[in-house]
Amino acid sequence: MGTVRGWASGGALWVEGGPEVGKEDFAPLGFSSSRFSRRDLLRRAAVGGAVASIPFLAAACDEDEGGGGGGSGDSSASVGNFPETPDYNFVFVNHVTTNPFFVPTIYGLQDASALLGIPEPQWTGSETSDVQEMVDAMNTAVSGDADGIAVAVVDTEAFGGPIQDALDAGIPVVSYNADGTGLGSTARLAYVGQDLYGSGFEMGKRIVEDVGEGPVVLFIATPGQLNIQPRIDGAADAIKESGAPIEFEEIPTGAELPEELSAIEAYYNGHKDVKGMYAVDAGSTQGVAQIMEKFDLAAAGVKAGGYDLLPETLQLISDGHMDFTIDQQPYLQGFYPVFQLFVYKISGGLSGVAETNTGLLFVTADNVAGYLETESRFEGDAEEQKILEPAT
Amino acid sequence: MAKQATEEISKVDPVNTDGRGLNGVARLATALLRRREASIALVAILLLFYFQSVNDAFLSQGNIRGLAQSGYATAIIACGLVMLLICGEIDLSVGSVMGFTPIIVYLADQEFVFPVAVIVALIVTSLVGLLNGVITVYLRVPSFVTTLGTLFLLTGLNVSLTDGFPKPAPEESTLTRILGGGPYSGIIWALIVVLLMHLLLTRMRWGLHTFAVGGNLVGASEAGVRVNRVKIGNFMLCSVLGGLAGIMEAIRINSVDPLAGGPNVMFLAVSAAVIGGTALAGGSGTIIGAFFGTAVLTILRNGFTLQGVSANTFNIILGISILVAMTLNVYVGRLRRTGRT
Repeated sequence: MGTVRGWASGGALWVEGGPEVGKEDFAPLGFSSSRFSRRDLLRRAAVGGAVASIPFLAAACDEDEGGGGGGSGDSSASVGNFPETPDYNFVFVNHVTTNPFFVPTIYGLQDASALLGIPEPQWTGSETSDVQEMVDAMNTAVSGDADGIAVAVVDTEAFGGPIQDALDAGIPVVSYNADGTGLGSTARLAYVGQDLYGSGFEMGKRIVEDVGEGPVVLFIATPGQLNIQPRIDGAADAIKESGAPIEFEEIPTGAELPEELSAIEAYYNGHKDVKGMYAVDAGSTQGVAQIMEKFDLAAAGVKAGGYDLLPETLQLISDGHMDFTIDQQPYLQGFYPVFQLFVYKISGGLSGVAETNTGLLFVTADNVAGYLETESRFEGDAEEQKILEPAT
Repeated sequence: MAKQATEEISKVDPVNTDGRGLNGVARLATALLRRREASIALVAILLLFYFQSVNDAFLSQGNIRGLAQSGYATAIIACGLVMLLICGEIDLSVGSVMGFTPIIVYLADQEFVFPVAVIVALIVTSLVGLLNGVITVYLRVPSFVTTLGTLFLLTGLNVSLTDGFPKPAPEESTLTRILGGGPYSGIIWALIVVLLMHLLLTRMRWGLHTFAVGGNLVGASEAGVRVNRVKIGNFMLCSVLGGLAGIMEAIRINSVDPLAGGPNVMFLAVSAAVIGGTALAGGSGTIIGAFFGTAVLTILRNGFTLQGVSANTFNIILGISILVAMTLNVYVGRLRRTGRT
């Protein structure tokens, strides 16, 4: 084997006669029972380089997001009339981070933070409504000294503690899109989103107006889920309060679009005398609209309505198969919390937060054209910044 | 594979053939580096240093608590999965069991006092494991398929039993503080479970039989090992550990959530076990390795969230990091093996 004694000789790395050096050459270093070869050294350098590249990968991927980091670091130049502020690091905790419904929300928080000259807030939480992951994300935000937190409170019990912990640590917390069981159920400073119960109540009033009397069905994807259950509760209460002779049923449809469609069709087949079909979540609304079209029920005088602006729903409203859907303006649910948290920070907590109802806009055949014709950041289907003309 | 098992059990002896003595520290270091878990432990330590260097809030007390709280459930479940993986089986339903057990606790709590409710729930959970084991072993359905079925069954049960609505966690008491209520109770439980399972696997007959069943099923059976009993027992053990983790998580977040656990937790736990050095095909495995594997995954997830990585790029970075960490792990492992005389 090798004639040269490894490191001890004048530094020759290549050993004549073979790649292995004898193990006794390394005894002074304490590695008497290992064998190092050129190949192993090269491999280790490659692997070490790969490990060392992780931080650069992370930095590269973060660059387009403006690199949010734990804690306020450098300051930004002042914008508008505002004083110079540190790089406030806000964190949005969401229950379905990759759901397309929240794409406009992300655009909203991007635009707001760009306006205020602060880094883009971090968008984190769970992809699958896993409350534990959301709680962990909130705790990490608190440990990382976030400057403000916006959280979708989909579970009152679970978030009560973490929200209080954040407030105790001096971090303002607002809720958006979902607010647990309502005002006062958690210690959050304000709620930015649709007044869930209120919008359900308005829908209930509209049902009474449109249908008048007879059997009506209210579909809900997953009963008990705190961002849709209050809507159905509101509708039910409005119908009851009006005293109208309407018998209504609340039917669960499931969390996935295809099964919702099947459930709604099955219900219709069993209740062909229904006078009104309504839904309180995006998927069920689309399902109702599709069933209305399939059996041409609008022409037969059946009324229908629902929530949120799935493209198919909007198209079918335009075609006359559904009477209305309700927009909750997800763009604003990202836009306003950033402003509220910013003003809260610069005013030392004296101002900034305010209960904000982002929407109870009834989208009907009269005003649906605008939504259908344009693609925009506000609806989430286009990234470009542009000014939209109102639809004619 | 059985040979590797005996290697772990036998003493490591860094003998110096040319007579020069190593001092105690070098000998200990060499002995530690010889262990198969050394590579993954090294990766975990490197990651700790990296994240601390990037963000000095990483090792703050609050974040250490956060790390402990987000990782302990996966660690406990990974221990159970290691036992099953060594046997050559897998349990896909353990994530759903994690959501199932707290629901049973909630229901039993209406009838009985809380400690009894916990025991009842764990017994019911072990029956789930028994079901998995019996169908796999006696009906000869591959465990992947069996546990896939129980996964869906339990996911559906979780939602029906609670009507889809999260239920309040049990009222605070000393027992709840021990079972996940206290800030560090989860990680202490995880460490106890890891220690006990490690002893079970490496020092007790059950562990030896588990390796035997995984390494050579027919040979073990011929040698007199009660193969069926070992497999069913490991299924029950895995489910009970999943249930325990589920109860602690429910108490920690103060809510019995029908959507808790799920396939994601199971994937993380299997990944932790495999990253730690357990072979997916069976026959070899390590509990300590699974613990460090969990540590690696938890540190990665927590570290990147702390650094401000948003959801859309999060998974990209996590995936790349796992690949890099695993490659490093495999190479260091190979280095360790080539170092043997």
